[in-house]
Amino acid sequence: MRRLPVYLLLDTSTSMRGEAINAVRDGLDLLVSTLRQDPYALETAYLSVITFDTSASQVVPLTELTEFQAPDIDANGATSLGEALSLVANCIDREVHKSDMDTKGDWKPLVFLMTDGAPTDSWEKGLAAFKAAKPGLVVCCAAGPRADTKVLEAISEIVVTLDTADSATIASFFKWVSASITTSSRKIDQNRNDVDGVDELPPTPAGVNLTKS
Amino acid sequence: MSIVNLTSEGGKPVSFVDEVIASGAMKDIYVSPDKTYVVGFFRDTQDATLKERLREITTRYRSNLFDKDSGDFWKDYFCWPTDTVEHNGRIGVVVPFYASDFFFQYGSVKDDMLKIRGKDKEGKWFASASNREKFLDPREKGNWLTHLQICLSISRAVRRLHMAGLAHSDLSYKNVLVDPTKGKACLIDIDGLVVPGKFAPDVVGTPDFIAPEVIATQHLDREDPARVLPSRTTDRHALAVLIYMYLFFRHPLRGRKVHDPDATRDEELSMGERALFIEHPTDDSNRVRPEDLRPQSLPWGDPAQRPYTMAGPLLTELFDRAFIAGLHAPEKRPSAAEWESALVRTMDMIQPCSAGCDMGWFVFDNSRAPVCPHCGTAYRGKLPVLNLYSSRTKGSFHADNHRVMVWDGQSLFPWHVNRTIFPNEHLTAAQKKRVGYFQMHEGDWYLVNEAMPGMKNVSTGQDIAIGDPVKLEEGLQILLSAEEGGRLIQVQMAGV
Repeated sequence: MRRLPVYLLLDTSTSMRGEAINAVRDGLDLLVSTLRQDPYALETAYLSVITFDTSASQVVPLTELTEFQAPDIDANGATSLGEALSLVANCIDREVHKSDMDTKGDWKPLVFLMTDGAPTDSWEKGLAAFKAAKPGLVVCCAAGPRADTKVLEAISEIVVTLDTADSATIASFFKWVSASITTSSRKIDQNRNDVDGVDELPPTPAGVNLTKS
Repeated sequence: MSIVNLTSEGGKPVSFVDEVIASGAMKDIYVSPDKTYVVGFFRDTQDATLKERLREITTRYRSNLFDKDSGDFWKDYFCWPTDTVEHNGRIGVVVPFYASDFFFQYGSVKDDMLKIRGKDKEGKWFASASNREKFLDPREKGNWLTHLQICLSISRAVRRLHMAGLAHSDLSYKNVLVDPTKGKACLIDIDGLVVPGKFAPDVVGTPDFIAPEVIATQHLDREDPARVLPSRTTDRHALAVLIYMYLFFRHPLRGRKVHDPDATRDEELSMGERALFIEHPTDDSNRVRPEDLRPQSLPWGDPAQRPYTMAGPLLTELFDRAFIAGLHAPEKRPSAAEWESALVRTMDMIQPCSAGCDMGWFVFDNSRAPVCPHCGTAYRGKLPVLNLYSSRTKGSFHADNHRVMVWDGQSLFPWHVNRTIFPNEHLTAAQKKRVGYFQMHEGDWYLVNEAMPGMKNVSTGQDIAIGDPVKLEEGLQILLSAEEGGRLIQVQMAGV
């Protein structure tokens, strides 16, 4: 039974304080309750949450949907994006089952990264470790205009920008994340040279803009 | 939330709340203010072919199906688009809301812990052993007979589409709603219908149901002659997978075999060019390894415990053709009509579990002492089996490969009496009426003639008048009708 590991990397730096962090908490609840209503996700998806501020920590290890407990999230500190990338690489190595010639492993992990600012640590080293962990689809979300999209574009070809980091837009983003974890019909003309899996992403709602580089 | 009011192509008023309630691969879905229909707008810029296709589906094809004598029969089998609209440069289809049977009444266990009450009964809930075992309220699950009925409904609906020259092109548990409590199914997402040479498919299908040849050629350009796109032949694969999954709660091709260490590539190979039936009789390399499963997936997840042959000889033969002979040879796959016929006859071979276990029903395995394969309870009591024969030329009778198990509540209908009658949309009101029933009296089973004028005990030569019973004993032969195609039954006694 292949599992679909899903890692959420959430920026919990001081700038997220207030409406944004509340919206992230609500978004997580929405994501989990939506996925619990999807029989495919329920059977397949496993969820982990990593938060990063002055340091990064895995606040929820890779967990089955029905066992998932919402973590306490507070916004306080700097933006250690590089540390978060190293940490998720480490978690992937540890938690995701690899295939060998005798046993089917897990699906390649999906990674959703959300930040509203610019990294305060040296993120390049973390990025190298992250790439080496060979994640599957990686989606970076720039929450609001202050996010450093250049850095996000270096992390993944798929960047979504939220016009504003308000509760409605963040809710839309989490709804979109849940839709991208479930399965649906596949179109005929998939651009096969495209980024792995990007064709299977659902259309983004208003206020959430998808760019592929 | 604002409401958009439009006039449809058919000249009818159409309104919807201006908020997307769901999005598929092609469309965004909006709901009418009174929640009686939805409007699905195609996201891609409209083209003339799409418009033409939707117009044909909502007018000509729809009328061919529903405006005929048998039109009422099909209303429960399809959720058919009724009209088209245009708004802000996008084209939309108007589709009625599903019947209430297709929404969860009880939902999940522990007072609906997953909060799915009122949500639609997507087939995946019921096609997965672990979802059924872990989450579904027992009142939602139905039993093995209702699951056979679901398969019959799907086969019938697909047969009807194929008969009209149409292919669904995206049959999956997302696009087939099921109701295990009543044994019903309904095809949705009809707007993607494919007409060979006229309307090409939009989608290749949904993972789990895409035919191997479609997956194996999906890297080719759409115009490449070697590219295989959805058609009636690939619908046949999807139909076989649906039936297998609704009867055995596992996927027929998902076993242990690893084709590539890369999961994406492995998936492509194991569903595509190297697809292999997990219950292949001679190649055991893709067998399921029970240790790989979640405990809640057992026993159904393990074919060794619940082999596909438990569906009886008629369905076994079709599964063999679908997943062994026809997996990579599309022309050998059974048609929807063949599944329909085999399912109708298999449902006559089903018998109730003596212990009344959850699955409740099983197919007679032709043994003298049948045991319920679900719970292991031996059948208690006498079990007459009627073997059906029919006359082709006067005076000679041929076995029809059709048996009727006798149990409390079993009945004879005109399609048992005459081989030229088949239970489908063409039955007249008179043909839907029971013509005989079975009754237990002082330890013996009797067949009571209700409406078979030509019934005769061949063993004794005596006529059996309407209203009269005949005792069922080993070897007894009864002629049910002397007319052309009339059937003779030979009684075989099983059970103790």
